[in-house]
Amino acid sequence: MHGWSGKILDIDLSSGSVETRPLDMEIARQFLGGRGLGARLLWDLVGPEVEPLSPENVLIFTTGPITASASQTSNRFNVSSKSPLTGTILHANSGGWWGMQFKRTGYDVLIVRGRAEKPVMIEIAPEGVKIADASHLWGKGVFETTELLGQNRNKRNVMCIGPAGENLVRIAAIMNDGERALARGGPGAVMGSKNLKAIVVEGKEKNQPADKDQFKFMQYETGKLLKASPLTSQALPEFGTAVVMNVVNEIGALPTRNFQQSQFEHADRISGEAITDEILVKNQACWACPITCTRISKTASGNEGEGPEFETAWAFGAQCGIDDLDLITEANFLCNDMGLDTIYMGNTIGCAMELAERGLLDSDLRFGQAEKLQDLVRDTAYRQGIGDELAEGSVRLAAKHGAPELSMTVKGLELPAYDPRGMQGQGLVYATSNRGACHETGNMLGPEVLALPRLIDRFATQGKAGIVSVHQNSAAVIDSLVYCKFANMAVAEEFFARTLTAVTGEPYTADDLMKVGERVWTLERLYNLREGFTKEDDTLPDRLLNDPVVAGPSAGFTVNLAPMLEEYYQFRGWDENGVPKEAKLKELGLDTLRSS
Amino acid sequence: MIDERLYEEFRYIGRDILITGLTSSHGGNMSVRVGDRIIIKRRGAQFGQLKPTDFVETGLYTKDSGIVRASTELIVHRAIYQKTSALAIVHAHPRTAIVLSLSRDEIIPIDNEGSYLLRKIPVVSVEMASGSTEMANKVSDALQGYKIIMQRGHGCFAIGQTLEEAYHWVSTLEEVSDIILEHKMLGEPLIEYRKHSEGYKNW
Repeated sequence: MHGWSGKILDIDLSSGSVETRPLDMEIARQFLGGRGLGARLLWDLVGPEVEPLSPENVLIFTTGPITASASQTSNRFNVSSKSPLTGTILHANSGGWWGMQFKRTGYDVLIVRGRAEKPVMIEIAPEGVKIADASHLWGKGVFETTELLGQNRNKRNVMCIGPAGENLVRIAAIMNDGERALARGGPGAVMGSKNLKAIVVEGKEKNQPADKDQFKFMQYETGKLLKASPLTSQALPEFGTAVVMNVVNEIGALPTRNFQQSQFEHADRISGEAITDEILVKNQACWACPITCTRISKTASGNEGEGPEFETAWAFGAQCGIDDLDLITEANFLCNDMGLDTIYMGNTIGCAMELAERGLLDSDLRFGQAEKLQDLVRDTAYRQGIGDELAEGSVRLAAKHGAPELSMTVKGLELPAYDPRGMQGQGLVYATSNRGACHETGNMLGPEVLALPRLIDRFATQGKAGIVSVHQNSAAVIDSLVYCKFANMAVAEEFFARTLTAVTGEPYTADDLMKVGERVWTLERLYNLREGFTKEDDTLPDRLLNDPVVAGPSAGFTVNLAPMLEEYYQFRGWDENGVPKEAKLKELGLDTLRSS
Repeated sequence: MIDERLYEEFRYIGRDILITGLTSSHGGNMSVRVGDRIIIKRRGAQFGQLKPTDFVETGLYTKDSGIVRASTELIVHRAIYQKTSALAIVHAHPRTAIVLSLSRDEIIPIDNEGSYLLRKIPVVSVEMASGSTEMANKVSDALQGYKIIMQRGHGCFAIGQTLEEAYHWVSTLEEVSDIILEHKMLGEPLIEYRKHSEGYKNW
């Protein structure tokens, strides 16, 4: 294969049917793979009438044309579905080894439909595809399941859900290779609703470049950039993603105690430096990645595993007013084993803590109670006690207790680790992200904080919509190829375009890729509009719009969203209600979809 | 209407373009895209003395009265924004790069920094060298594959997400060109030190 195998594996768990279908190559060229291809297939398969946890919802696992090519960071893959948490389009991607191995099975896409009568697993191997009984695995954690199914990094890779997915926790993750997560939006709950415990892959096929000389040249040039960038060659290997904890805190953009403050007085205790000094055993890389940002950590109790990432350290740390790195890491390990999204989990616990402190939730829960984290995680996964409320997400939790404004969410998805009052562009990213509040769909950390590619004024609003849109389009195409976003902080789209050309033999320019990104973003927008979302959903929690930061370098700022949003719609060629205009749809080749 | 933060960026980039000799006192232009509008330096404004009133806001897709004061090259800026993901454009007249463009169809850096940042700068040739539709089409087409290009005998167009980024490419191009020219004047053979440098010709 040169980029695409041209095959979709389509499995219906209700009927037990297993089919191989051809991939429409015109669609593949327009959407590439990963998130883009997933969105395009989802458009046809899951309409507004489908309940997310019903058999009619689907899970679409997609690789990209560069997956398994051995281009740097070409290990990632995507899952698309309708979110049981938010009702929006769901896309989540993950690194590790599973995506590479699935590509080697000779398929670009795996579609899972229906619902099995009893717990099952899918096994895809050179000998064929099997749906097998998994009753003996139901109830087991991710770590044990992964081991029992014979995880072997370069030969046999396991993806599964934990108890959270089985119990339909709305933000349950799907875990691959033991500790990597497809997390945001609750794909684990969709997998649980299908009685699907695991998908195991073994493959032998290769994604070989059409132009080997050009591919080698691009590998060499890309490698030079990754080595030259202090971020990818020094900061991330040395301190992991949490290297930005102190940086974000210093500028007054680290959300603290459910976004009541934007600086955490003990940020240094949960920072990348602290992780390296206190708990790091070694760093580790995903397949074909020279960056090695993964942390392998060990806690005081002797538990060892992956994490914590920046978002996790923040969610269980600053967001909950907790500075105990050891217990934060234990909570991280438990989330991995239970199959839970750590951003959601920490954010929702922070919301519960504020509800309790304000006397709105009948609980002795308080900010700073690190010793309660593990019980709260476990209770959420098993829907026990207060965990049953946490399992529903902070929107439902805060509304139930009469304070919906305390849910720090956009479109029902919990905010990540940047306070947009100190990063105006990030506010626009959150407000307009198609899967709800998300930094990964156009992170402004680069331009607003890290000077990547250039430092821009983080408090400015004029002209910000264009930069946000370009970053969103770029993220969408990176997620469709599928590359790692950290690589993109050192390597520009023109390199990815030339590598894609070398792999597929088809000519792509950087602007071709950006157009794919815009197409993907706009299709996701159309999907949400079809689901009933409107301009009113492109907003932020009241606290961020109306309560100025009280102290620190961002003091006095709220998010000045309205003018940025107006400029954003204009930039994207959408009308004043945020609906893509006909001319824009035609330009992107999406006009036939809207009328269908 | 340009706001204070954006004006400051125009002002200091304009000053630096002038004092580093990348254009004459009034030559060249620059713009940024804001939503579906363009903010562009007015025709004839001095690079080193920019005031808030030296900027014109006009439509990206539609014409309005702003065009009477806008730069002659507005048509080129519009085409670039419509065909690429550029958010800012700098057009300048770097002298050594112009000299090289008179005898070359591409400028390939021989220094390390230039190779790393630009790899290759194509040279496009147009009959009507200022503000023509032909020029708008050729320049914008070329910028779909490159972040900076030369127009033969005229100057360069550079794109970026910010003015600063576009300015960086212009400044780098001129450094690249100075080094090529001085090396040629030295008359000694180049000792190739860059592995796979032949790949830059096909970039």
